Amino acid sequence: MEHTHTNPASDNTTDGLVPAGRPLPLGIYLQELWLRRDFMIRVPLEELRAQNAHTLLGGIWLILNPLLQVGVYFLVFGVIMPIDRGVDDYLMFLTIGVFVFFYSQRVISEAARSVVVNLGLIRTLRFPRATLPLSATVGQTMAFIPALTVMTAVVAAHGTWPHPRWLLIPVLLALQIAFSLGAGFLAARYNYTYRDLENLLPFVFRLAFYVSGVLYSVDHYIDSTLGRAVFLANPFYCFVTVWRWVLAGTPAAGEIWVATGVWSTVTLVVGFTLFRARETTFGGTR
Amino acid sequence: MSKVAIRCTGARVSYTVRSHRPLIRGALRGQRPEARVIEAVRGVTFDVAVGESVGVIGPNGSGKTSLLQATTGLLPLAGGQVLVRSTPAFLGVQAILRPHLTGWRNIQLGLLAQGLNTAEARDRTGEVAEFTGLDDFLDLRMETYSSGMRARLHFAVATALAPEILLIDEALAVGDREFRDKSTARLDEHRAAAGTVLLVSHNMAEIRRSCSRVIWLQEGLVVADGPTGDVLNAYEAS
Repeated sequence: MEHTHTNPASDNTTDGLVPAGRPLPLGIYLQELWLRRDFMIRVPLEELRAQNAHTLLGGIWLILNPLLQVGVYFLVFGVIMPIDRGVDDYLMFLTIGVFVFFYSQRVISEAARSVVVNLGLIRTLRFPRATLPLSATVGQTMAFIPALTVMTAVVAAHGTWPHPRWLLIPVLLALQIAFSLGAGFLAARYNYTYRDLENLLPFVFRLAFYVSGVLYSVDHYIDSTLGRAVFLANPFYCFVTVWRWVLAGTPAAGEIWVATGVWSTVTLVVGFTLFRARETTFGGTR
Repeated sequence: MSKVAIRCTGARVSYTVRSHRPLIRGALRGQRPEARVIEAVRGVTFDVAVGESVGVIGPNGSGKTSLLQATTGLLPLAGGQVLVRSTPAFLGVQAILRPHLTGWRNIQLGLLAQGLNTAEARDRTGEVAEFTGLDDFLDLRMETYSSGMRARLHFAVATALAPEILLIDEALAVGDREFRDKSTARLDEHRAAAGTVLLVSHNMAEIRRSCSRVIWLQEGLVVADGPTGDVLNAYEAS
């Protein structure tokens, strides 16, 4: 092969050429994502392992961490200032709330960082960038399984034995994964453009934590229809409430299920679409 | 007539540079940092055929890296068009995969990210590891590596699955002689298998070894485009 120097004017063999940086068609994109499933499982698994590698208790921290969190809140709000929050069994109420809330918070925060942290990988290798928020979500979901087990055990210990409602656990988990992943896509996309988001997120979550009925029963404090409608516009409140209904039978209105379903679908679709529309510019010089 | 792998038509790349502003006072007054547009690539046209290896030379700031980044699609174009046969792999000089992971893990990660499954990645890890020549250093975290060691690992991972189009930005310059020979050999194999290479370098010997054609850029424009010997002679005489 000597000089294969081609002259643009005389050569029209542009078949099969595409503009650089054009997003892949959706079907091919999804196929490429599916090819990376081993990446999405192995990488977070190893990271979880590495995180606890230098501790005495190792993987036990995955259970101990959420337990201690519940312990702190129970000590403060259940023992030190035991005011009436319209809740019968405060420990169970609190455990479900805290675990469910922190799961979404973790997924979204990790997904938000996933693109920025992996710029080295992005600049060098060709792969659908959605792999990264997905991988973060898989990791946090794996870490959530022990917590989910503890949560179920706490409920069982309070005399609520397995109930047919528990069959909805996988459905609800799937909805929450969809929502958290979708929000994670959004967070990752905007955190790439505006690194400020990473500084802001902890405060957004702190605020959400206090207005999502994690620590108190919203129904106990709010009577007006308008007030309830406002809470339906808060996905965290929806998830916390629906989980309490599924696990412990705490009443939850039908519209909360609808709101939960809508939040999950819309967030995932919007998040994925906006992420993909922008992903080819990740890693470029801005 | 040979197939085209990369077609650049009047490609333009520009950066908006913002000047510094007093951090707090400026923000309080609502001052927007002053914006200045720098044109790094100002209308570049060329074709690269499948199986061709093209060197890109020119002084610092002549737009070489911007041109390569536009070809990966990482940088949006300010004008013109860049067409590619497939998304290229890009090897840059500062590249580092995951600094906190060991060399071994980085190899595995890189192979999985390119779409291998766990078993396939395990099978290929040994071969990639051997190519890096890093031996025991692979047990260390990548952040402890010298730039030459990073380049070795990086090159090995990025070329393991033979991407159709490979863009190299000074990534081989930091390697020692042994690595240079290895990487040259691999680029030859790559070309023989109809792979396309675009190589940015200030090392004329490297360009001479690996490229049959050279594009000379200056201030974002093509000064010369032709057989390696001719262009390099003109460049060195300038």
